[in-house]
Amino acid sequence: MPCENYREALIEAAAAHSEPSRELRSHLDACASCRAIFTEEVQLFAAIDTGLRAIANVEVPASLLPGVRVQLNGRPVARRSWVPASAALAAAAALVVVLVCFHDFGRDAAKLNPRVNSVAHNVSPAAVQPIPPTPAPYERGVLPGKNKTLRPVGTQAALEVEEVAVLIPPGQKQAIDALLVSVQKGKVEADVLLAEKPTGTLEELQVSRLDISPIEVRPLADVSGESTPLNEGTRR
Amino acid sequence: MQELVLIQPGRAAEKEFAQEAAQAALRREFEERLAECGSLAYRVARGVLRNGADAEDVAQEALLRAYRRFERLRDRTRFRAWLVRIAFRLAIDRARSSKRREVRETLWSQTAPRPSTEDLAATSEFQRHLDRAMEELAEKHRLVLLLAAMQGHSLEEVAEMLDLPMGTVKSRLFFAKKQLAEKLRCHVKTIGKR
Repeated sequence: MPCENYREALIEAAAAHSEPSRELRSHLDACASCRAIFTEEVQLFAAIDTGLRAIANVEVPASLLPGVRVQLNGRPVARRSWVPASAALAAAAALVVVLVCFHDFGRDAAKLNPRVNSVAHNVSPAAVQPIPPTPAPYERGVLPGKNKTLRPVGTQAALEVEEVAVLIPPGQKQAIDALLVSVQKGKVEADVLLAEKPTGTLEELQVSRLDISPIEVRPLADVSGESTPLNEGTRR
Repeated sequence: MQELVLIQPGRAAEKEFAQEAAQAALRREFEERLAECGSLAYRVARGVLRNGADAEDVAQEALLRAYRRFERLRDRTRFRAWLVRIAFRLAIDRARSSKRREVRETLWSQTAPRPSTEDLAATSEFQRHLDRAMEELAEKHRLVLLLAAMQGHSLEEVAEMLDLPMGTVKSRLFFAKKQLAEKLRCHVKTIGKR
């Protein structure tokens, strides 16, 4: 068989790094030129493999992973809220406004609703129930209610936040959320949310009983022309 | 009168903490894989781009992209394969755009960019021919060649990484090497004659 017929088998054996078939082997034993070509092909494929290994196993620069970590730390880990950090102050102001609104709302309601007034005025002093005792003032750093520790923050003590429903103006929900998150992260001190502990003691309010003199009923004065002694007295 | 809504601020904060905790766990998991697969991304990029600085840029970009989408990766065991594809795709894109840029630049200035000392030291004449021959290969063949040549990758692993049958990987590898040999045969003869 001519050498050309073995050419393809020869290259494939070199490429696959496999032993030549029996037929090819016997040809190579007999043909010096094909043997030389086969040796060249084996060397060529070995050089390709070496070159590929050199390309594929280059040393990784030491700066690769630190660079990635820097960029990872640079980008926001959590989905960042659109409310900026400065919104905490705005939220604190909003809380104050809410408290003031509640305060005024109570007064306004009494003014606007006459039934409230009339009912209040019709109650006799005896029917007024004694005011329940005021709860003890809250300690600083702890809010009232069934306290639930949410998460220890960077400060020494864990911040405890009450889980209660709060009425706020509709546009301020995000701001309140941002404020609470900031408080829990320790970015804003919880003290700003707390009322001062009153120093003095509250005394019971004393209400004295109203003394109303009996009403004197008199007939109407004559309007024909004669003056009454009372009118005379006023003229003088 | 002012309209009011009822909220539960504690709930919102808890939700935020849960999100942050999940994000931290995700970051830890990604960090573990980063140490293991960072080199893989770099080597894939380097194999395509033949330039250390570009490869580092691309590898970093690939790792950052992988992190951004890590949450969406359902099967975390497929991370290596996924990262290889991201790095390879980014490197191919970078190579194409730099080729376009090179063409534009040579129109203005005939001086080609000088390779760095490191690049010069790493490339012999044969290696340069091999790089060029690799560039002419189809992408699917190039990726198989690179992954199979990486230390510690068996053909089974390459097949798993590329989600291909073992037979396909073998045939692509064989075909790619034969194509390289055809392109390099004349160069080997000229180099050998010197």
